[in-house]
Amino acid sequence: MKHHHKSICVTLTLLVLGGIATGARADGETIAVFTKNQTNPFFQAVRVGADLAAKSLGAKTLHYIPTKSDSISEQLSQIEDVVVKKPSAIVLDPVDYKAMVPGVEKINDANIPVVNFADHSAGGSFVSFVGGDDYRISLETARFLLKTIGGKGNIVIIEGVKGTLTNAERIRGFKDALAENPDAKLVASQPGNFQRLQALQVMENLMQSNFQIDGVLAANDAMATGVIEALDAANRKAVVIGVNGTKEAVDAIKAGKLLASGDYDGFIQGCVATMIAIRAARNQPVVKEIVLKPAVITKDNYQPFDLPLESRICPTWDDAAKLGTK
Amino acid sequence: MSDATKIAIAPRRSLLSQDVTQVLYRLLTVLVICVALSLLSQSFFSLGNILNVLRQASLMFFIASGLTLVVLTAGLDLSVGANVALSACIAGTVIHHTGSTALGVLSGLATGAGVGLLNGLMVTMLRIPSFIATYGMLWVLNGLTYWYMAGETIHGFPPGFRQIGSGYLLGLPTPVYLLVIFLAIGTFFAQRTTWGQQIYAIGANPVAARLSGIPVNRRLLMVYAVSGAMAGLASIVFLARLNSAEADIGESLTLPAIAAVLIGGTSLFGGVGTVFGTFVGALILTLVLNGMNLLQVNASWQPFVTGIILILTVWLDMKSRQRAR
Repeated sequence: MKHHHKSICVTLTLLVLGGIATGARADGETIAVFTKNQTNPFFQAVRVGADLAAKSLGAKTLHYIPTKSDSISEQLSQIEDVVVKKPSAIVLDPVDYKAMVPGVEKINDANIPVVNFADHSAGGSFVSFVGGDDYRISLETARFLLKTIGGKGNIVIIEGVKGTLTNAERIRGFKDALAENPDAKLVASQPGNFQRLQALQVMENLMQSNFQIDGVLAANDAMATGVIEALDAANRKAVVIGVNGTKEAVDAIKAGKLLASGDYDGFIQGCVATMIAIRAARNQPVVKEIVLKPAVITKDNYQPFDLPLESRICPTWDDAAKLGTK
Repeated sequence: MSDATKIAIAPRRSLLSQDVTQVLYRLLTVLVICVALSLLSQSFFSLGNILNVLRQASLMFFIASGLTLVVLTAGLDLSVGANVALSACIAGTVIHHTGSTALGVLSGLATGAGVGLLNGLMVTMLRIPSFIATYGMLWVLNGLTYWYMAGETIHGFPPGFRQIGSGYLLGLPTPVYLLVIFLAIGTFFAQRTTWGQQIYAIGANPVAARLSGIPVNRRLLMVYAVSGAMAGLASIVFLARLNSAEADIGESLTLPAIAAVLIGGTSLFGGVGTVFGTFVGALILTLVLNGMNLLQVNASWQPFVTGIILILTVWLDMKSRQRAR
C-alpha cells in the first residue's frame, strides 16, 4: 500500500504539472476505487470493469483493498489516507454500510466527489449510487427454479452470513418466491456462511434427514457449487441455483450442473461507477441512481458471461444511463 | 545426564494415565451428545449419518492432528488455515497444468510441509515466539495466495483425483480411511516412539529437555513441518472433496482446528494431551453442526448454541475429572 500512496503523490504531482504546462484540464484524473476484499470474484470483476472504464476515458484507477478481508478499521484508515492525497474522485463500496459513514463524511468534508456502489451507504452524500438489487435478483432466480420444477417439491435454502444486508435481502427474495408457490415446501433453511465447505457439509447433513429434496436455493455461487458436490457424491439429484454469476457458476451452468445464477454484475458496476466518478470530476452531468435490472444467467443466455473479464466491454455512457430501473 | 532425563521424561509418564482418563471422559461427552441427538432426531443414528459425520470430521482432524504436536511443545501454529488455502491453490494449478494427480498431491504436501518448515526455522533459528512467527506467516501466505489467485476460483478436477475426497472404498468414504490411518500413525508416534516422548518432554520442560540431551531444535523443526504437511494433506482432501478452491478457504478453518485440539484436552502450556483427544474434539465440533442441521436450529441461534455446548462440554469434563479424583 505504501507504494501505492507514493504513486498517488507522483501521479497527482505530474497531474498538476501537466495541467499547468498544457493548460488542458480534466484528462488523466486519478480515481480511487475502494473494494471490500481481494478474494471475492465479484470485486475482481469490479476492479477490471473500473480499470477498463478509466482507461477508455483517459483516467487512472488506484485500488484500495483491506489486507484483512472486509476490515472496517482498515478501510476507514485507507479513506483517511486517500482524503489527504486528494484524488479526482472516489468510487466506494463501504465494508459496512453503517460503520463507514464517518469515512464518507470525511470525503465529503474534503469536497472529493464520491460514487457509492454495491452496498448502499446509510449516510454521507454521494454523487450517485450504482448497484444491483439483491432482493429482486434472488426473487427472479428463485422464481426461475420454481417454474422449472413445476412450482412444487421440497426446497432447501442455504443461507449466507447472518446479520449481513446482502444475506437478509437474498433470503427475503427466496422466501417471497416460495410464498408465490404454495405447493413448494421449504423443508430446511440453514446457514452456510457464504462458504463452500460449510454449504457442502450442511447439504450432506440435510440429505440425512430429507430423503426427497427437489430444489436448493443457495445465497451465493460458492455455496451452490458446494451443494452440487454434496449431491453428486451422494448420487442424489436436485436442481440448484446460486447468486453472483461467477465464472465458476457459468461453467457449472454450461455443464448442466447448476440451473441458474442471479447476476449481480460486478463488471458492469465497476464500469458504470467509475464512469460516473470521472464524469463528476469533469463536471459533466451524471445519473443519481442506477440500480441494475435483475438478470438470471441460464443455459440459454450464458454466452456473454462466459467471456474472460478482460475481454468484456464496458457499456457506453448512453447505454449505461439506461441500464437502471430507476 | 541420566538424572536430567528422568526429570524430563518422568512427568510425562505420570501424565499419560491422566491423558487416558481425560480422553475417556471426552468420549463420554460424545456418547451423551449422540444419545441426545438419537432421541431428538430419528435420522441421526444411521450408518449413513455416522459415516457422514466421520467424513466431515476428517478434514478438521487432519489440520488439528498436526497442530496437536505443535501445541504439545507449548507452541501454536496459527498459519494452518492460510497454509491449506495456498497449498490447495498450488496443488490445483499443478493438476490443471500437468493433469497428474500424483504431482498435484505431492505439490500440495510439499507446499504445506515447506511452509511448516519455515515456521519451524523462525521458531528455532530466529527464536521468534511461535504465536508471532505463525501469525506473521498467516499474513504472508494470505498475501501470496490473494496475489496468485487474483480473485479467481480454481475448479474442475479429474475423477481419479476426486476419489481422494468424495470417493468410496468398500462402502466407506475415502477420507475416513485416511482419518483412521493418520489417527493410528499420530497416536503411535506420540505415545510409542522416542521422538514422540521427546515432544512431550520439550513441552513439559524445555530447559530440562535440552539439558537431558534431547535435540530440541530438531524436534521443533520436525513438529512444525508435520503440522504444515498435515495442512497440505487437508488441502488435497479439500480440493478433491469440493472440486474447487479460492484464496479465502483457510479463514474459517484455523480457529475450529485450534478448538478441536483444546477441547480434546491438549494443554496450551504443552506436555499434556493426545492425538486421539484431538480426534474426539473434532468429532464433538462436527456433531454439533450435524445435530443443529438435523434439528433445523434457526440460523440466528446456531453460533449461540455452538458456544454454549462447547463451554459446557469442557466445564462438565473438568468437573467430572475433579470428582473422579
